[in-house]
Amino acid sequence: MAEWGRTTLEMFVEELQRPVRLDESFDRRVMVKVRRLYAAQRPRGVRAVFAAIAGVSRRPAWAAALAASVVAVASVGIFRARALQPNAGATRLEPVTFVYVNKTARSVSVVGDFNNWGVGDTALVATNHQGVWSVKAPVATGLHRYAFVVDGKEWVADPSALRAPSDDFGLPSSMLVVEDASK
Amino acid sequence: MSNRKMRGMMVVMALAGSTVASANAQDPRMPLKIDAPSRAAIQAILDSAAAQGLPEAPLREKFLEGYSRGIEGPKIVAVVRALAVDMAIAHRQLGALASSDEIKAAASAVHAGVPAVELGKIKKQGGLRHSLTLPFTVLTDIVTRGVPVGAAVNAVKSMVGAGAKDKEITDFQRGVAGDIDKGAPPEAAAETRAKSATPEKKPEKPEGSQIDG
Repeated sequence: MAEWGRTTLEMFVEELQRPVRLDESFDRRVMVKVRRLYAAQRPRGVRAVFAAIAGVSRRPAWAAALAASVVAVASVGIFRARALQPNAGATRLEPVTFVYVNKTARSVSVVGDFNNWGVGDTALVATNHQGVWSVKAPVATGLHRYAFVVDGKEWVADPSALRAPSDDFGLPSSMLVVEDASK
Repeated sequence: MSNRKMRGMMVVMALAGSTVASANAQDPRMPLKIDAPSRAAIQAILDSAAAQGLPEAPLREKFLEGYSRGIEGPKIVAVVRALAVDMAIAHRQLGALASSDEIKAAASAVHAGVPAVELGKIKKQGGLRHSLTLPFTVLTDIVTRGVPVGAAVNAVKSMVGAGAKDKEITDFQRGVAGDIDKGAPPEAAAETRAKSATPEKKPEKPEGSQIDG
């Protein structure tokens, strides 16, 4: 009986272990069904983002990395926002031609808040031999103060420009309002 | 945690750290070559301005102007502080919606001697005008050229109230400057040019005037 039973059991096992011969397209059809099922259950939009975050949160290392990245991006945004806040409305650049006449000058440059008052950053070029110096420079729309620096040492106001009030630093300067040409 | 995961995390952390470090780096517009007390004072002024809702840019620009001109730190601090005061006064008159340029222009006018209350009146005259930057700048210019404050304010106020465009106000300034350069009394130049520049009122040029049309 025991022998018969074992033999029968072995027969069942052998039958169950026998490879099932399936159609060649079976795997492909199964995967199509699985993808459809997954697509129907997959969250979309904002829920998808939260789901992704929840997935990451189950992995501490990646969660820490993600948090650091978020902090970094937020910090950059805050610092940039603070830096740009005062000139937030003056980001468009317009070409401005500066002209200064001085027959004896050997060099002329324009300095102003549009180039961080960098002496020599924006040099004027003598366009002829009559002492006419000029340069066309991109300047952000808005109100600016500026001056010319002659021969690298003498600060002079632009005689053809709006005058700034009596200068606090004892040197003259001019004012310039650059308007948005697109408006 | 596997080595691979650890390395990946360290790379991300390093990138994040370097990004934060670069954001915290020294503002290139704030040179280091200034004495520490002055630098601290400037920073305090900037912080105070920010707390009051004032734009920091004009203050930074003034600081850089002084630095670029080789002015001593304490003098720069005094000038920047005075500008902050002028800006605060202007800001109170113009309101919270005033732009940075409007506050900057108004502060220049205050510095030139224009009472802040007059700037508020010009703003009221302006109604829905898109910007008062140019009128305030022109006001400062003509006061600097010798036009009495009262006459200058009246001229600009009348033009703004009449809806003069920026180009008309610019033409007005050029006319006043040209007249003064040719010897006209500044007050007369401003009054006459304002009348001819005001859109609704264009009286004929008075006879015998020294002012060119």
